[in-house]
Amino acid sequence: MTAVARPTSSSTASGWIRGRLFPNVASGIVTVLLFPLLIYLAYRAFLFIVVNGRWDVIRRNLNLFMQGTFPRDEQWRILVQIILMAMAVGVGGATASAAAADRTREAGIATRRQRPTATLRRFGPLILFVLVLLYFATTANPWLFVLAVVSAGLLGSAARFLPPRLRHLGWLIAVLALIVGFQAVSGTTGRSWLATAILVSIGVWLSVRQEGLSPLARLATKTALVALAAGVVYGIYTVVTVPGIGWDKWSGLHLTLWVSALAIVLSFPLGLLLALARRSTLPALRVLATGYIELIRGVPLITLLFMGQFILGFMLPAGSSLSSISRAIAAMTLFTAAYVAEIVRGGLQALPYGQTEAAQALGLTPGRTMRLIILPQALRAVIPAMVGQFISIFKDSSLLYILAINEFLGVRSLVHAQADFRSVAHAETLVFVALGYWAFAYSMSRESQRLERRLRVGL
Amino acid sequence: MGQVVAVLIVFLLLRWLFGNLVDNSRRTGISLDFGFLNRPTQFQIANHPEFDPRSPVYRMVLVGIKNTLLASVFGIALAGVLGLIVGIARLSQNWLTARLASVYVEFFRNIPPLVIILFFAFAVFLHGPLPNLREAIEVGFPGTSHNLFIFSLEQWGIPSLADAGNLLYFSLAIIFALVVSALVWRWRTRVHDQAGDPHHRLFWSVGVLLLMLALAYVLLDEPLRVTWPTLSENRRRVIDGFAINSGFISVAGALGLYTASHVAEIIRGSILAVSRGQTEAANALALTNFQRYRFVILPQAVRIALPPLINQGLNLVKNTSLAAAVAYAEITNLTASSIGNGRPAVPSIVILMAVYLSFSLIISFILNLVNRRIQLVAR
Repeated sequence: MTAVARPTSSSTASGWIRGRLFPNVASGIVTVLLFPLLIYLAYRAFLFIVVNGRWDVIRRNLNLFMQGTFPRDEQWRILVQIILMAMAVGVGGATASAAAADRTREAGIATRRQRPTATLRRFGPLILFVLVLLYFATTANPWLFVLAVVSAGLLGSAARFLPPRLRHLGWLIAVLALIVGFQAVSGTTGRSWLATAILVSIGVWLSVRQEGLSPLARLATKTALVALAAGVVYGIYTVVTVPGIGWDKWSGLHLTLWVSALAIVLSFPLGLLLALARRSTLPALRVLATGYIELIRGVPLITLLFMGQFILGFMLPAGSSLSSISRAIAAMTLFTAAYVAEIVRGGLQALPYGQTEAAQALGLTPGRTMRLIILPQALRAVIPAMVGQFISIFKDSSLLYILAINEFLGVRSLVHAQADFRSVAHAETLVFVALGYWAFAYSMSRESQRLERRLRVGL
Repeated sequence: MGQVVAVLIVFLLLRWLFGNLVDNSRRTGISLDFGFLNRPTQFQIANHPEFDPRSPVYRMVLVGIKNTLLASVFGIALAGVLGLIVGIARLSQNWLTARLASVYVEFFRNIPPLVIILFFAFAVFLHGPLPNLREAIEVGFPGTSHNLFIFSLEQWGIPSLADAGNLLYFSLAIIFALVVSALVWRWRTRVHDQAGDPHHRLFWSVGVLLLMLALAYVLLDEPLRVTWPTLSENRRRVIDGFAINSGFISVAGALGLYTASHVAEIIRGSILAVSRGQTEAANALALTNFQRYRFVILPQAVRIALPPLINQGLNLVKNTSLAAAVAYAEITNLTASSIGNGRPAVPSIVILMAVYLSFSLIISFILNLVNRRIQLVAR
């Protein structure tokens, strides 16, 4: 007969202590042993943070950590970019949540508005990081900067009040703000038109709908429209030339965030295609996709980054040059795509075959079955796993340090090249950098857990 | 039709890339063949005084593979033990233990492993509190003049066992003893299954093992002797004992700490994934807490946990490549130095990728074996 612990009331302090710290003898001994250790650790942490730590290394180099060696006269570009990004995030988030609220209202499910404190708690780690940054600020500029970003976000979230008829305008504004934000830093010279053209083409492809045409005619019109849109973008970019700062000059946290965001966005379509190819009935496609995925998953990211640095330039025609950051982004995209493909494949496999059969019974073509029935359900099921992969690529962006690219971890080498900090304060800078990574990664992982609960999915 | 087009596109793309590669290598005169493997390495590997810079490059590759495996084995051992403790602690009733464990997991899981490695390399060793080898801290063994430990920022020394003659025979004896004790284990299991007598497997097989080892040790005239760590005459190296380089501690320790957080999550998840009805059924059978864990929960949890755990092991092996950022001579680090020393990049990286790919294939082979063994047999 096992002794089942008597339930103790946890409403009183002594009941809580007895129930949670001394439920039985063994547990009590562990508590007694752990307590001094905890006190000691807290004492050492207090000494490090308040007394001994040379935190002036952060205070004097805050700018370097945030934007690295970005030209000082051009910093307004980053300011404009981040304000536009905040606006895009505000508009996009508000539009999405308003659309979701509409759908639940149509379905007749009672909705509960989220309290602002819950939102604050959701982004707790990020807010903590921003507060730490503000603590290290020596001028008023960072405060004004945060104020501007927050108010831009709030202003953007006013899109919530757009009538449902105009909801697609919300998405349009968000995408435009993203594009203009990117161009605000990179200018419209060089190859920057390519990114915009791809974004616009995808938008055109998705938003054009003509019913009542034969499939071939529809494909032809869509392709023509996409080509037209890309051509228009190219035209605009050749006429309007605004000089900018190419991303080979970006660094610091700014670069880390952009590199990981680009790797994530670019790897998704590639991964989707690979997953479909691996599940395809055509043997040649299946073999190619499987070979690629297993090859990439079998090697560490750093070998692909080396390949990007040492070999990729070699594999392009003589005279063409890519900046080392572009090559690193290419390597990270190729790497992440293999993992995204496996995640998507998991979602596809988990979907019962009855779904496909039902779609066939309704007379849908294979393409429409995939697009309207299979993919929406499969992708929804793998959202948490996908966020996990994105956290991992965000953390992996620190590997650019090994290639001597000065991203968030890499700017440390600039800081410690300064005469005052040559061999001191290494722990301080590393703790600060770790806090930065932790704030973003932990926020994302909590968001993915929240999504997992809300969508009731997860494999 | 579709697949012909796809294969054609892939083929043309590859043809274009490799055509450019060959053109460029002809234009710049950089070779693409593997002949460099037999030419001298031409640089000294850090912390490997026995390595001769004149020995061929393939010897360097072997040194790198050995060090990769060494760091992986120690990292996996640390991650396994620590992850098991933390994972179980997170499920503890004790509030303090559960809280500490979840703080550990949420911290280490969400920072890049490279940051942890650099923390060890820079903040603990290179610019940390430890003295350099010249003024190394020597901890003596009480009552003797031997050193028990040597601590410095370059190398640590610990006592070790060395061959005193007959080590080969002793290793054979160890293998023989292991086989015999495994047979004893099976014999006791059979006795238990057939006659229902208590098996006492652990007692029997460990007893037989220890007895045979003691006998072999005496018969082979003490084949092992303890060597104590000592500083060399010029205080530049640890001789005798077992010398651990700080680069090794950085890589294996940091990756162990990082992977332990993932292991802990897997362990916690798989214990929680065993359905609650199993616990209730065990309680209904009046099993004790220990029996419930040992015979009901853990066997099922292991089935869930093993495949992702093996995957974490593979991740750790691949993550040892981060040693390229610190002074630890594993394969990626050595390949980078060798490319820096003018070896051709393309074949070097092909070899590097092949090495990791073969590690991955071996581990996924093990994973498949394990999967087949632990799969539920549906009747």
